[in-house]
This record gives sequence, C-alpha cells and structure tokens, in this order.
Amino acid sequence: MHHDNGIWVSSEDLTRDESFLRSAEKEFSVETMAESDGSWTASRRDFLKLMGFGLGAATLAASCEIPVKRAIPYVTKPDEIVPGVANYYASSFVNGGDYCSILVKTREGRPIKIEGNTLSSVTSGGTSARAQALVLGLYDMRRIHSAGTVEGGEVKKLDWKELDNKVKGQLALGGNIRLITNTILSPTAKMALAEFTAKYPNTRVVSYDPVSSAALLAANQQCFGVRGIPNYKFGEADVIVSFGADFLGTWISPIEYARDYAAKRKIKSIKGATMSRHYQVESHMSLTGSNADNRILVKPSEQGAAICALYNEVAALTGGAGIGGPTLNDKAKASLKKVAAELVASKGKSLVVSGSNNVMEQIIVNKINDLLGNINTTVDFSVVNNMRQGDERDMMRLIGEMNAGQVSIVIVWGANPAYELPNAGQFKDAFAKVNTRISFNGSLDETTGLCSHAAPAHHTLEAWGDAEPKTGHYSLQQPTIAPLFETRQAEHSLLEWADSQNLNRQDDQPYYQYLKSVWASDMFAKQNKYSTPAAFWDMTLHGGVFDMHAAPVTVSFIAGIALNASGVTQPGSSELEISFLETVNTGNGQYAHNPWLQEVPDPVNRTVWGNYLNIPVEWDGVNNINGWKNLNDGDNVEVEVKGQKLSCTVVRTFGQMPGTVAIALGGGRESGGCGVGYGVNVNPWLPIEGGFIQYAAKEARVTPAGTVDKNFACVQFHHTMGVQAMGKEEGKVINADEKSLGWKGFQGSLTDRSIIFQTNLSELPELAEKMTEFHEEASHLNAQTLYPDTAEYFGTGLKWGMHIDLNACIGCGACQIACVSENNIPVVGKNEVNRHHEMTWLRIDRYFYGDIENPKVVYQPMMCQHCDNAPCENVCPVNATNHSMEGINQMAYNRCIGTRYCANNCPYKVRRFNWLDYTTADVWPGNEDRVFWVEGEDKPYYADNLVRMVLNPDVTVRSRGVIEKCSFCIQRIQEGKLTAKQEGRAILDNDVRSACQTACPTGAIVFGNLNNPDSAVSKASKTSGALAYQVLEEVNVRPGVRYSAKVRNANEELHS
Amino acid sequence: MLLKRICWVFSLFLLASIALQAAPTKEAGKELFSANCGSCHAKNMKDNLTCPALGGVEERWAAYPKTDLYKWIRASQAMIAAGHPRATELWNQYKPTIMNNFPGLTDEQIESLLLYIKEPTSGPPKPPEDPTDGPKESGNMWLFAGLALILGLLAFALMRIIDNLGNITRVQAGESPVSRTLSQVLSTKGAVAFLVFALVLFLGYKAVDNATRMGREQNYQPDQPVAFSHKIHAGVNKIDCQYCHDGARRSKQSIIPATNTCMNCHSAVKKGTISGTSEITKIFASIGYDPLMSQYIPDYENWSEKQIEDLYKKWIGQEYMSANSLTAMNDAGRTVVESQWEGIVKALKNDSNGKIQGPIEWTRIHNLPDHAYFNHAQHVSIGQVACQKCHGPVEKMDVVYQYSTLGMGWCINCHRETEVKFADNDYYKQYERYHEELKDGKRTKVTVSDIGGLECQKCHY
Repeated sequence: MHHDNGIWVSSEDLTRDESFLRSAEKEFSVETMAESDGSWTASRRDFLKLMGFGLGAATLAASCEIPVKRAIPYVTKPDEIVPGVANYYASSFVNGGDYCSILVKTREGRPIKIEGNTLSSVTSGGTSARAQALVLGLYDMRRIHSAGTVEGGEVKKLDWKELDNKVKGQLALGGNIRLITNTILSPTAKMALAEFTAKYPNTRVVSYDPVSSAALLAANQQCFGVRGIPNYKFGEADVIVSFGADFLGTWISPIEYARDYAAKRKIKSIKGATMSRHYQVESHMSLTGSNADNRILVKPSEQGAAICALYNEVAALTGGAGIGGPTLNDKAKASLKKVAAELVASKGKSLVVSGSNNVMEQIIVNKINDLLGNINTTVDFSVVNNMRQGDERDMMRLIGEMNAGQVSIVIVWGANPAYELPNAGQFKDAFAKVNTRISFNGSLDETTGLCSHAAPAHHTLEAWGDAEPKTGHYSLQQPTIAPLFETRQAEHSLLEWADSQNLNRQDDQPYYQYLKSVWASDMFAKQNKYSTPAAFWDMTLHGGVFDMHAAPVTVSFIAGIALNASGVTQPGSSELEISFLETVNTGNGQYAHNPWLQEVPDPVNRTVWGNYLNIPVEWDGVNNINGWKNLNDGDNVEVEVKGQKLSCTVVRTFGQMPGTVAIALGGGRESGGCGVGYGVNVNPWLPIEGGFIQYAAKEARVTPAGTVDKNFACVQFHHTMGVQAMGKEEGKVINADEKSLGWKGFQGSLTDRSIIFQTNLSELPELAEKMTEFHEEASHLNAQTLYPDTAEYFGTGLKWGMHIDLNACIGCGACQIACVSENNIPVVGKNEVNRHHEMTWLRIDRYFYGDIENPKVVYQPMMCQHCDNAPCENVCPVNATNHSMEGINQMAYNRCIGTRYCANNCPYKVRRFNWLDYTTADVWPGNEDRVFWVEGEDKPYYADNLVRMVLNPDVTVRSRGVIEKCSFCIQRIQEGKLTAKQEGRAILDNDVRSACQTACPTGAIVFGNLNNPDSAVSKASKTSGALAYQVLEEVNVRPGVRYSAKVRNANEELHS
Repeated sequence: MLLKRICWVFSLFLLASIALQAAPTKEAGKELFSANCGSCHAKNMKDNLTCPALGGVEERWAAYPKTDLYKWIRASQAMIAAGHPRATELWNQYKPTIMNNFPGLTDEQIESLLLYIKEPTSGPPKPPEDPTDGPKESGNMWLFAGLALILGLLAFALMRIIDNLGNITRVQAGESPVSRTLSQVLSTKGAVAFLVFALVLFLGYKAVDNATRMGREQNYQPDQPVAFSHKIHAGVNKIDCQYCHDGARRSKQSIIPATNTCMNCHSAVKKGTISGTSEITKIFASIGYDPLMSQYIPDYENWSEKQIEDLYKKWIGQEYMSANSLTAMNDAGRTVVESQWEGIVKALKNDSNGKIQGPIEWTRIHNLPDHAYFNHAQHVSIGQVACQKCHGPVEKMDVVYQYSTLGMGWCINCHRETEVKFADNDYYKQYERYHEELKDGKRTKVTVSDIGGLECQKCHY
C-alpha cells in the first residue's frame, strides 16, 4: 500500500490504478462526449457544414438592424425601490421542520438570493444548502398555477370562489375531517387551525415528519414529561457521542448545531490548543461521521446494543445499575469502554445523542446523559426545540380510519405521504376511499395527484407567516414578491372555509392582517421590550426575529422508568444489512425537485442527480482494494429488501462498514418536478417497528446486474489535482496532472505536493514545526525567480484574499449553492456531469486519510485561488484572463476565445468551460437537446422565462465557448467599494462579504482585504500561524487563498 | 502668393460671419419657430396641420408690401377686421381657427423666421462623428491623401525615369526604344500584386472598422411616445437632471422617471409651452389624473377606455375652446381633439400593455451590451462627472440622441485622463504610496487608471 502523504480520494488513487490516472487527467472529457453518441464526432463534412453555418450567421448578424429596446419606468414608483439597487427583507425559510432565519435579496421586486440573518440567535447568519436553494423553488415551472379540480394528472382551473363554495359544501356535511401536515412551526398557523377545528369539531390534525424523530419525542415525554426536543448544546460539550445522529447535516437543527460544534473545534492558538472530542457510532459514512474524531463501526442493527454497552460502562463507572443488552462486535465494545471513561471524566460537559427512532434506545440515551450530569447543562429543556413534532403513528391510525370509511375530507398541507411513507401503497388505497381530498401543495406531487381538489398555497417567498423554531424564539416570514400565480395562502384558505370572523376579506392581504392582529395581541402581550404593538411589529419585521428570554427550566429524569435492554433493536444475523440516510441536498424527497440541490454533490460519495447504493471497499491487507463483490462505481445491482426488488447503481464508499450497505432517501420521485426519474424510491423498504419508521433494515440482498449506468454521475474524479498514479509508459508513480500536461520534471512534480496538511491534536506542535520548515523551504524555492517582486505593486490600496479553516469546514455544501445562486452558474444536468461538464466555480474536495478500513475525512472548498503569479494568465493568447492590482485574477468573458489553455495550466483545476450554451439554452442548433431539460417540458430549462427570473442582473450570463471561474464575487467587491466611497470612509470587512462566506454556518470562510492588518482575513491567517498554508505553496503561483491545517482530536488508543 | 490669397479668403469669411451675426439668421429663426409657431404649423413647412403650411409664405404675400406680412404675423385678427384681401382669404379658409398674436416680434426676428421657413433644416445639428478625436482624424485623412498623391507622383516619376534610362541603354545598344502604354504598365506583375495587396488591405481595414462599429448607435435618435423636450425642461426651465433621473446619484441606472415624478410639476403645469394639451395629457392618461377636477382618479385601474376617452377629450376640447376664445366647439377643434386622443392611444397602448392605463414605454437610447457593467452612482456621486460629459448638451436637445459612441475606447480614454478626487474622500487614504508620491512631488496627479480603472473586471463581470 503506497501513499506518500497518507491522503487519498479513492481506492484507485490509493492503489495507483492506471484507470484512475486516465480518469483524473480527463479534465474536460471530450472523449466521453464523442463516445456517448455518434452524432458529435466531427468529420470534415461536419466541419464544412459548421463553417458554412458560421459564415452565414456572421453575414446575417452583420446585416441585422439593432433591435429597438424599450425602457419602461414605473407609473408610481414605490419609495423603497431604486431600480439597480438591491433590497433585503428579513424572512424565514420554513419547510416542515427545516428552519433558517434568512434575508432575501430582491432586485426590482424580484427575489434572487438568500442570505443568512445574523440577528437570529438560532442560526446566527448561517444557512444550509436547502435554505440557499429556496429561491429557485419560487421560479419552478412545475408549480400549480391556480386552484382547481385534479383530473387525470392535471389541474382544471376553478375560481377560488367556486372552490370555496364546493369545499364549504362538503365541510358542512359534517363528516370527519383530517389535515395531514409535516411539523408546523407557525404559532399563527396553529391559531388558524384552531379556528378551523372550532368551526368543524370533527377535525383532527395529523402531523408526521419526512424523516421521523417521533421516538425521541416519545422518550422525552416519558423521561422528562416534555414532548419536545431539548436544546442540545454542542458548543458546551467537551465530549460528544452520536449514535447515528447526523447533527451537522440533517438532524433536527443542523445549522445551529454546526455553528456551536465548529466553535469548539477551531484552533485559536497552536500552544495549548483545545478541542472537543467527537465520537460517531455508525455503519455508513454520514456527513457528521466524516467530521468525527473517531468513528466506531457498528451494524445498523447493533445500534441498540452499542447504546446498551455504553450505558453499562457509564453505569459501572457512576454507580448505576447495568441492564445487560444484546451482543456487540468486540471492537466496538472495547472502544465504547474507553469512550465511557472519557465521558465520565467530563461529567456535565459531555453530550450523547442518538438518531435512532426506537423509544427504548432514546430512553437509555437520556439515562446516559442523566448519569453523566448532562441534563440541564448540555441537554437543556429551558428552551424546547420545536423543529420536529410529528408522529407517524398518527398517520398509521389515519390510514386505518380512512380504510374504514370514517373520514370524508382530507386536507393535505405540505406533506407528501404518497411518497414519503413506507406504506405509501396502503395510504394510496385508503386515501382513495376519502370523498373529498384537498391539497395545499404547490406542485402536482404524488399525493396532490391523488387529490380531488388543488388549493395551491403561496411559495414561502410569497407568503406571510411566522415561526417558533425554539420556544420563545419567534421569526417572521414576509412576502418578497407578489404571488406569481393565482395561489392563496394556506392559512387563508382554512380561515375562509371556517368562515372566520377574524379574517378581513376586504383587505388586499387578509392573512397579513390576521397575522398582524395575532402579533398585536398574543405576541405583544408576551414581551415587554416594546411599548406599542406597532413598534413591536415593525421592529420584528425589520429584524426578522424576536427572542423572549425564557426563565431557566430544570427537569429531572423521572424516577421509576424501566430501562429494558430487550426493547432496543436486536442485532440481525444476516449477511448484509442496509441503512437509509438523509442527505443534505434532497432530504426525503422534499427537495428533489430543486435542480441546484440535485446538482450539488453528496458531500461524502460525491454523486449527483439521484441516490446510489453505498457499498464498502475491501482491502486484502496487502495491495488490492476492491469494491465489495468486485463491484465498480456505476455498476447496476438488484437490491431486495422486504421482498421488494429495485435496481440501483453502486458507488464504493470508504468508511462503509463491511457487511452493510447504505442508500440515501429522496430518490425516485414520481411526479411534481424535475427530480422525477432520478434515483430510486427506497421508502417502501423502510421497516416499521412499534409504529415507528426505522431507517435500517436487517436483511438485504444485492445481486450484480452485470450492467453499467452509462450516465453515472459522480464528480469524484473530475478536476482532481495533486493526485498520483502509476504511469503506464513511465512505469513509475507520477502526478496525474503532470501526465496531463505532458511535461516532465516541472517544479511541482519534484516536491511533495502540499494540498492537505493534517494532524492529531496531540501532535499539533510537531505539525506546526514541520509546516514552518515547509514554509521556509517553499519561500526559498519561490525566491529563485528572475521576475521582479510584486510586493510593491500590491502593497497599496486593496488586496483581496480568503482564509478557509479546514477545521471548521464540515462539507455541508451551503457555500456551493450560494455561489451557484450569486454567480448565475447553470445547472447542466446528469448527462453533462457525467461528461465532466459541471460548471460549479466552488467545489468541495473530499480527501481520506488514516486507516483504510475506517478512514478520516477532510473537506476542502476549492475555488480559483487568485494567484498573484498565475499560470493561467500567461498562457492566454488573447489576454482574456489577467491580474488586477487588487490581487484578483480577472476573467473577461467577451474576450475569451475558448482555447482552454488556461484551464490546462491551472494547478487547481478550477476553471470551467462552457461546452454548450447552458444558460441561454436556445441559440445554437444541436445545443438544445444536450443542455438541461426537465422531462416533458417543451423547451430547455434556462430557456424558460420564469426560471430566468432567478438570474443575478449584476453578473454576466456566459455564453458557449468561454471559460469561467470564481471571481471572488467581484460584483460584491465593486458594490462594497462604492458604498465606502459614497460614505467617504475606509472600506470595512462588512462592506464586502463573498457569497460562500455569508452562506457558511460555521464561519469557516473569511474574506477581506489582506493589506489591512486589522481585517478578519489577516487576523485569521495570523491566528493560524504556521498552520496557515497555501495549496501548492511551493510552485510559486502565490495564491490569494490560504487554508489552515485540519486538526483532529482523535483518541489514538481506539484503533478504529 | 498663395499665402496671401489664403489670408484674403480667410479675412473675407471672418468679415462675413461678423456681418451675419447682426442680420437675421436661420438659427434664430429656428428657435423662434419652435417657441412660437411649432405647435400649430408643421415643422416641415409642407403639411397643413391646424394651421396652414408656412412654406412659400413670402411668395403668397408677394403681391403686398412686406410690412403687411409683418402686421399679419403680429396681429392677424386686426388685419381681418380691417378687410385686407389676403387676410380675408385666409380667414375664410381657416376660420374659426385664430392665430395667436405676437406683438413682441421685431422685424429682424420675423426676417429670421422667414429665412428659416424658406429653408428649414430638419433635426438637431449633428455632432462630429467622434467628439473626442473626430476633427483630428479628418485632418489626418487629408494628410494621408496628400502623402499618397505625392508618393504616387514619385512612383510615376521613378517609373518614367526607369523607362527612360532603359530606353537610353537600348538606344545606346542600338535597339529601338520601347514605349509602354498605361495599360501595359498597369498589367505588369508588380502592379497587379500591388493592387491586390492594396485591395486586401483596404477591405480588411473596412471589415475590422465596420465590425467594431457593429452594435454602436451614436446619433441614434428614435421617436418617443411622448414628445418630451429636454430643452424646455433642462434648458429653458433649468430643472436639475437629477431631479427626474434620481437614480444617477445612488444606483447603477440613472432611471427614467416614473410618471408620478412628472406629476410633481404637471399637476400644476397642465399645458405645454409648445405642445399645449397634446403631450401632457398623455401623462394624465398614464397615471389617471383628472385635469378638470385637479385630482387623481380613484379606481382608475378599472376604468374603461370609453370613460378615459370621454374625460380627456373633454379636457382637450375645453382647453382648445378657451385658447381660441370660443364658446362652442367647431370642426377644427374637433379635429384637434380627435388627433390628440389618437396620439394618446398610440403612445400608451402597445403590445405589452393593451390598455391606456399604465407606464409609458419609452424607446431606450443608450444601450450598453450585457457584458458591460456601468454604474451611474460611481461616476455621478463619486467621480462628479457632469452628465453632459457623456450625454452631450441634452439641455439643448428637443429630441434626445446618443451623443457619445459608448464604445470601450471612449470609456478607457476618459479613465486615462480623468483625475481621481483623491483628497476629498477618506476611501482613497488606503492608497498610501500615491499619497506619499504626491507629497514628494514624484507624482502630480492620480488618474482613474492608476487605481485600476483600466482593468477588465472593473466593468466586465
């Protein structure tokens, strides 16, 4: 096993496989373009045809008259809008239990970008990929345009009045009414529901969550008498143990947890550095697991056993009674013993959480926290987290009721049970027996398609609302655009049908008045900061959030609760187990129709557009690393779980426990948007135990199908750098990009490549020493130049730079979507990603290191490094890319002629070429059928004027044939400079913040003026000291981006 | 000798121009015409509008003394009352339309007017092709032409010399001299090659030149839905540019003012200096202002076109009658009302807005390509560049046209020359080196290009 720097990206990298070399060198993969279908192979005839077309087009263009353009001013210009200047509105992103306090950037009344709201104490200005992608959902071409009846997969338009009359007629008949929802965070919506229920007492609200935490709620009810989720204080815990809870990616309140978690893990000084320690007990590599210091591998069915084992060890040390428990693999057992000792050593400053949906397991976890004295410290019930409230057992009951014909009206509000439930088949059958089925959902999803009536609600960005994500933390949601279609607020519909006296129907926005009056009475009464309701409303609407400080509440673990080891999941005995995970992008399908989210790679296995079966890699202990069953990435397999077979595509994943496989939820949507047809729907595989949905199955059978997915889209080998492989001709290990350059012996290949620096906390001083040496050597090498020093040139005025803390980066992908949104980066679709044509300016590289069977992960956001000695600049024949005196590597699209020399010469592989006219999408013949289309639409995605509303008017929409790359958000820089100039003052950090920086929930990315020693970016580099480095520092390209080394606080005694 | 003649011609020209200053001029006539006559008499002097075309007026009055025409222009009704035959003839033709009295016009002014009427020039004076280096270029052109001529003559002379020398040697060798005709000379290999080379050079130059001009629209002067005159507003009434274009100081766009900005003044000024009711009524119809009641119309959104038509026709008619001191509407008045209403419909109803209510769709004159970012605030607020620097003498334009090329060379040139207001803004303190150099006298000024004003991504991103 040969890997010099101990870092690898894949098994091929590790074994120096020759196929990897080939894959890695194919930066642009023209080959696959020709391979994929015969039509693109350019023959002489094609060339002549194209030349003829080109000449014709040029002649035509030359003879064309310039089109007359119109300028249409307002009739009465709203005071707050200045065309050309962005307005920001504080609002809330709420989707079921997902919550983020946001600022919506609008231009000329059109929302174009989501930013985090720094005033929120819950999210503190952080965002998630899902929150960032919210704005694209507004311009979804598949939204339902009006109320109507649902017939044959279409909505036949009805007037809202007509629909109201029909619905009211049905409601008046007096049958049982059921509302199906996900978690509702809005107190005012709950009041509207209460009014509805008062009018129709036969109403019951049934809530469940797409990914359930019902057992956790039930356990807390039993243990503490509170059916809620406590405030988990990851920022105050020195030792964190998570049993399969993906708290950094998807579990409950990931933005908040990530912020707190990262705060404890940043290295503030090399001397005496401290960090929290994080153990993750799981079978598949989750986002949280990939960030853990130690991963303890247990099979999904061993989770219960592992929890019992930890409990027993902790109890033994704290004088509690053991409970026995199922058998656990020896390695995990030994590890957990050491973990227990550590937990006990930091009593009151540790935290144990579990993502399990088994009540007894959650009770035992609560008891562990109780024994460790964490209740009321790191597990705080003073503030209850409301982000999960659903209970799928209610849903199961409802299915029974519907089957028995006891329900006459069902109103579906946001939920999609016909897709999300494991027993969706049963649901569909039962649902058909309901007389009137109404849906508030915005698109014709699986459930709405089965409804009789559609009463589409506004999109989040068109609607009024409020949210109480945590008790006492209120958040307002305001419309940022007039409704695009004839939709209506869901709460308005409910109040209308309830004949509410509190709904002012004469008003333009009746629900706005309703919300405002609730806030003027109920909410106003709860606070004492503002003396008038108007001031309270205005200030809260302005800031978006309002916190009422709750008095501390202490709870205690109710005595007499029996801990019963037989209640936990019992280990299975089958050869293969499967676990089901939620990814940061598509959730359980709620986000599958958002192309941005589909195209952001899964952080761990780096696949896009669909869900893939993660299979373990096998190592013979000597030289060979193979996929399980000798399967390769992209191979198709038949998977059978619970007797149901599905065809999946595999992706080999390091860190996947042998004897287990895993697959993400949220694939295989059947209707409602662009996600249809990508991946497989695994919800029917989810077992239900004790009424709770389980996210693992004890038995799975995988049979290789012998076929390969031709469009397998995994960005693993795209744009790789600094990776090495066995050169066929050379017969020795060479750098992959050296090979692609066809150049031997250039400076970079002579030295060890410096892309990732990592160490364990215990060896931090050694790393610092090593890095100091490295910096010295690099600067010595770099000083051997004939060119004059540039220090003076950049020394005056501004010099932009970035610092990225690899210790704080958790790989969540929020920055990537923020970049896509800010910079008009097109979605290219699965086929184009397969051809290495993804256009993202910012990618998050994922590297493995450490134990091959249970490796550690480091994420590295990689974008244009804005080298002051840029290799791309001097090879451009037309000077389309050049350097600014502010240290920015500039790209002039209209000058670029598309030679791609720059991309070839870029050591970081961050330049992207527009192979097709992705964004304009309709200019060139032969272009339309290759760019991204949504199935069944009559034109390419970006040719749709609705979709184009999302484009940022300050950033050029690039056309075919030009290179593009990260610009350091130059439009923001220019805007920030202008603001400072207008105010006649020096530029400050807050004037210019890059899109990736504002999106980051952990503050890993800092951007600013390097010439100012007091700027945050200068300070970040200074704090990191020797740990700060430039990627490929030794090749003298002088990047403007610095990283600080990855440090883990692993327990080295654990050997796992 | 030659120099003397030039001097003589020049002084003559100078004298003539001085003499012309005092005498009636066409330019003065034009100004007078647009201020006094243009709203009733057609500008092309050929069409009869509400009032007769003025072209050939002197011929028509030739039978009478010139003073009669003067009198007629100053007070027409008085002449009709006095029974002047030509006056009576006109009155019978055009009554009841009354021509306004212009007692203030001097004889010179009337002569100026008549000069202008005789030979009206249409449109504004065209600026030189390129305001920055246009004249220089045309000077170069003559220089080049002269050079080419001299070189051509030289080549011809040399050719003759070569021919003659050849002939001399031939004669010396006892051969008969050869004399080549012009066509023979032109069909030699060298001459053909030279011509082909010149042709390729010329076509190539033309192609590149035309290609760079593609998409440029200097002097573009489209018709606008409302005959808004910047000359009246910015020139005569001296309204500040940024009163209406209030985005210029704070936004990338200068902003075409919303109708409600117009209404700030026009709720009081209900009739135009030149246009009377014909143009300002368009503003009222766009926003829904009732000029009769001096109030905004509630629920104007839902008004039918008939309702709107009735209101504004009533308004136009009423104003017509009061202007002409009529007690009852006449045919000519009805024509005026009808034509003005048609103008309103044409201006406000279009493909994208199928009704009268709503915004006025202007034709955009200054169009930058999508890949060029321009920010007005940067230039107006920070750089304190006068609007006229790029937009030309807008305050003198009745109909606005694009004054500058808006080409990249034009931008770059200005960035090279313009000095940054370095001392007044604390933002520029960060350029420490420049401040030191200024203090040490190593540098006299800091131009926009010194702080990165020529870099691609200042405008292209």
